[in-house]
Amino acid sequence: MARTDGPSGDRLIRVDMTRQTANAEPFPDEWKLLGGRALSARILLEECDPTCDPLGPDNVLVMAPGVLSGTAAPTSGRISIGGKSPLTKGIKEANAGGEPGQDLMRLGYRAIVVKGKPADPEKLYGLEVDSKGARVVPADRYKGVWNYRLSEELAGSHPEGSSFISIGPAGEMQLAGASVACTDEKGRPARHAARGGLGAVMGSKGLKYVAVDKERRPLRQPARRKEFFARVKGYSKEFREGPKANVFRFGTSAVVPIANMLQTFPYRNRTAGQSPDVATLDGKRIVETFEERGGGMHNCMTGCIVQCSNVVHDAEGNYKTSALEFETLTLLGSNCGIASWEDVADLDRLCDEVGLDTIETGAAIAVYMDSGAMEFGDAEGAKRILREIAEGTELGRAIGNGAVSIGRKRKHHRVPALKGQALPAWDPRPLKATGITYCTSPMGADHTAGLIVNPGLPKEEWVRASQEAQLVNAVCDSSGFCQFLQPTLDDIRAFYGELYGEEVSRRQIADIGWRCLEDEWEFNRRAGFTEADDDMPECLKQDPIGPAKLVWDVPADLVRQAYRRVESRDELFAIKATG
Amino acid sequence: MPRVEIPPPYRGPTRGEDRVEVEGRTVLECLRAVDARYPGFLPQVLDAEGRVHRFVRLFVNGEEIERSALHASVAAGDRVEVLAAIAGG
Repeated sequence: MARTDGPSGDRLIRVDMTRQTANAEPFPDEWKLLGGRALSARILLEECDPTCDPLGPDNVLVMAPGVLSGTAAPTSGRISIGGKSPLTKGIKEANAGGEPGQDLMRLGYRAIVVKGKPADPEKLYGLEVDSKGARVVPADRYKGVWNYRLSEELAGSHPEGSSFISIGPAGEMQLAGASVACTDEKGRPARHAARGGLGAVMGSKGLKYVAVDKERRPLRQPARRKEFFARVKGYSKEFREGPKANVFRFGTSAVVPIANMLQTFPYRNRTAGQSPDVATLDGKRIVETFEERGGGMHNCMTGCIVQCSNVVHDAEGNYKTSALEFETLTLLGSNCGIASWEDVADLDRLCDEVGLDTIETGAAIAVYMDSGAMEFGDAEGAKRILREIAEGTELGRAIGNGAVSIGRKRKHHRVPALKGQALPAWDPRPLKATGITYCTSPMGADHTAGLIVNPGLPKEEWVRASQEAQLVNAVCDSSGFCQFLQPTLDDIRAFYGELYGEEVSRRQIADIGWRCLEDEWEFNRRAGFTEADDDMPECLKQDPIGPAKLVWDVPADLVRQAYRRVESRDELFAIKATG
Repeated sequence: MPRVEIPPPYRGPTRGEDRVEVEGRTVLECLRAVDARYPGFLPQVLDAEGRVHRFVRLFVNGEEIERSALHASVAAGDRVEVLAAIAGG
């Protein structure tokens, strides 16, 4: 067994893609309560020049599982991918499920930090990770290979049970909408760290994949073993059997009708908040196919008790895609005027194959349609565009680079993006507190940064609600827990306490979240962001939706109050993470 | 009087109110009473045929009731809770 250094035994892998070397070094003990997003933020603030070219050698790509990943804590295997985003030009963290987070932590690797880039931009490499360390290997034979075929080929050439992190052609072409794929429990590259173009950063470093061989390593053991396992058992039982057991048992696709009811199911490039196609895009339609076609709900990661991920089969009973979520049904469905969930499933599969963010890609296609270049509802046209992205055509590249890119090319006035990133489904016009999150989050318009679905929330509570949601979600995304488990800060600090055998106070856990946000805001400030970058796009200020004719009308000085930390109240620690 | 607890996504019509005390002898009467005070609330819970929306769950004093049990009796002091699962991935 390889020796592990450092007080905790954990290690950090440093990869130099200029020299194609990789080394494992001790993980700093002072970072032990940092994982995922908070760890990525700290590394980036300390080691990445915020003014660097996001696709240049000085950008830093971080892959960091959560603090609890690799333990028996339920649904705790999420991984954060971080770096300077080529889309927003600011700091970005994108979070994904799947197996690599658990596997890296079971080997004792708290993060992979990738710097540099190969001198020859045509060369491709892989990173092989096991208990002995990490090695950079040639991977030219995978040039242009789509994610599913890549995962199959890698599985065939690696030990059974290995998991993979990869990019598709979009990442190789360094397109700003490119995602980073992670394999799920079945080895499918269906879990994506999608937002912000981090797939392009990975591609800019010539890194096609990371392979993790966990070698049947046992789960990470907590310091207070008996208490930890009792907590796991009790928490899981409550989640599964409690009075409000598992509200997400049919996944986020089941949210479609509620969102439509609340005027936050954007239609035709956000020109309306409700869609006439709600019935044919409703996740219930997907669930109805399970009996006849197969598929069903499943874990995306080992140890998940939520099982909110769907596996979708076609009419012949063959696997089509997985993780067909609300955001995808909205941005690639309703927002493009595409009425059939089956077409959206095809588009979802294409995005996963090519390695694209479904939100950004759907928004870009909708802008293209809205500009008159294509009819709304042209599903076959949308599929053709995704293939063009993989081929690298001029149109494909423009759309693959996101909504702002195609909007600029088409000189279109309606581009719903903030800090360069397309808005997700949850619309800020009826959801003002969520809009404040979009404006002030270091991540740009990202619903997973702090979603508040409370249209009746009084104005005087918007700022606090956004700030608290941002803080809670930052901690959740650092812990390894999935947001759909909906842990609270008290839950997370209790698990941390038993993991390390020392109490983690409310103050400490809240500080972890706030410090993460501060690190990210500081990075963006140094990158050149100003208050002007917090402004919602004009189209959302001018285009009303719903009978109440809602627009974005929150004053900038109110929005900016979210940057001033409010005194923590008891309720903060009971707020559930939600994304 | 029974009290109806409103989930955050449904507080638009109630203008942010998270709990409303109403007169009612059944769950349905209580929901209708909320709607009478805050129009627009009831369609969020019941569809056009008067059935509970698929994505809504109802609880009385912490115990879930069947979707068909809208005529379940409630007494003074009882809590009728409406739960709507919202998340967006």
